[in-house]
Amino acid sequence: MCLAIPMQIASINGSRAVCSIKGIEREVSLFLLQDEPIGIGDYVLIHVGYAIQKISAEEARSTWELLDQMLTEDAQHA
Amino acid sequence: MALDDARQWLDKIRALPLTSPVRIMNVCGGHERSISMAGLRSALPDMIDLIPGPGCPVCVCPEEDIYQAIQIGLNEPDSIVVAFGDMLRVPVNVSSKSVRSLEQAKAAGADIRPIASPSEAVRIAKSEPGKTVVFFVAGFETTCAPVAGMLAEGIPDNLLLLMSGRLTWPAVAMLLDYETPSFDALIAPGHVSTVMGPEEWQFVVDRHGFPAAIAGFTPDSLLAAIYSVLRQKLDGRIFLDNCYQQVVKPHGNPTARRLIESTLTIVDAPWRGIGIIPASGLELRADYAQHNARLRFPVHAENARKNAGAMPPGCDCARVVLGRIKPVDCKLYGVSCTPRSPVGPCMVSDEGACRIWWSSGIRTRSAEHEETTCT
Ligand code: SF4
Ligand code: SF4
Repeated sequence: MCLAIPMQIASINGSRAVCSIKGIEREVSLFLLQDEPIGIGDYVLIHVGYAIQKISAEEARSTWELLDQMLTEDAQHA
Repeated sequence: MALDDARQWLDKIRALPLTSPVRIMNVCGGHERSISMAGLRSALPDMIDLIPGPGCPVCVCPEEDIYQAIQIGLNEPDSIVVAFGDMLRVPVNVSSKSVRSLEQAKAAGADIRPIASPSEAVRIAKSEPGKTVVFFVAGFETTCAPVAGMLAEGIPDNLLLLMSGRLTWPAVAMLLDYETPSFDALIAPGHVSTVMGPEEWQFVVDRHGFPAAIAGFTPDSLLAAIYSVLRQKLDGRIFLDNCYQQVVKPHGNPTARRLIESTLTIVDAPWRGIGIIPASGLELRADYAQHNARLRFPVHAENARKNAGAMPPGCDCARVVLGRIKPVDCKLYGVSCTPRSPVGPCMVSDEGACRIWWSSGIRTRSAEHEETTCT
């Protein structure tokens, strides 16, 4: 239910942004990061549609390695 | 590369001069998933026991609250109940002929919708102005922060909340206050700390003298944290380590914490199968009274309903959640309880320990240490 996933910001409109990862696009809220300088191209950690923290590109990459592995394992055991 | 790092941490852990067993508890379903999926239990020395603790907001969500959500959906005219998907299949304790879950309430004609974000609850309320939308929120700090954000941004009049928000640290404090805690060291949750800050876990070290480390979700981050607590114990130098510094910053996300404080209030709250834990619940503040589903609707509680608040009969989820037993120790594990027909909440939720163990292929007690190794 609640593992946060990293995505990259593609565009910003007020407190909402379009984020993308691996060709998937999602509209997310930047409301919880309103006091942080944040821009297009930044990586953020998304939980239930809200960015909860800004992260580095490297951190985003290693989390995705893990998520990819989990997704394949899930598919195998489904 | 993360995997090389993982192997290095594993080598360092294997080289430690451990002489007695160490039980390390995690309190995060995300951690338990990574541990099980990567097969860390079998890769670590036998002396190290990794215990899943109260790490899933779905598992500990009060049975009475789920019952209330079901009754609102079935009985309140023009109501729509929305909840995070995992909540829909959790069973309540009623006879098998009655409606036992939100999913069954939906099948019985109630308007129940799974959502993935608080923003969706707002969108549904706006598009259905003639209806009352009740957002049933079960979640830890990480989930309550976005809910607080949603409230602070302003919500439509016809959106109500049934809040079952929970703070994780009071549950750990309760476990530590037991005469014989079921663990010796703590891996603290990464995303709770992302929001609340590492300071939230300082009490484990200061008040109880237990080693603690905050971990992320990759095997290398978890292994770094496991190594840290073992070293702390061996060296007799106990401190709160942060093995997820890339994401967990001092004081967490201050904006999120401010929003939680301004919209939610801390209350004594029941945990399913465990009982009331003081100051462990997040409820709407009085300024949001007109949005509080608990105040709007009568409490649906049949006096005749047996086992209200308890885990389902025969289910050992309470002891699983408290880290007293492993999922495989429950008599129903894999027998009458599987992800396809779950008996207890721990088999329903993606972050429930029983569900995670089953999905990682653990079938019997002995297999706990025979999973595929960490490669
Ligand atoms: S909210 Fe985050 S920290 Fe809490 S159980 Fe879920 S993944 Fe773990
Ligand atoms: S196996 Fe099923 S019944 Fe047993 S503790 Fe786990 S969820 Fe509960």
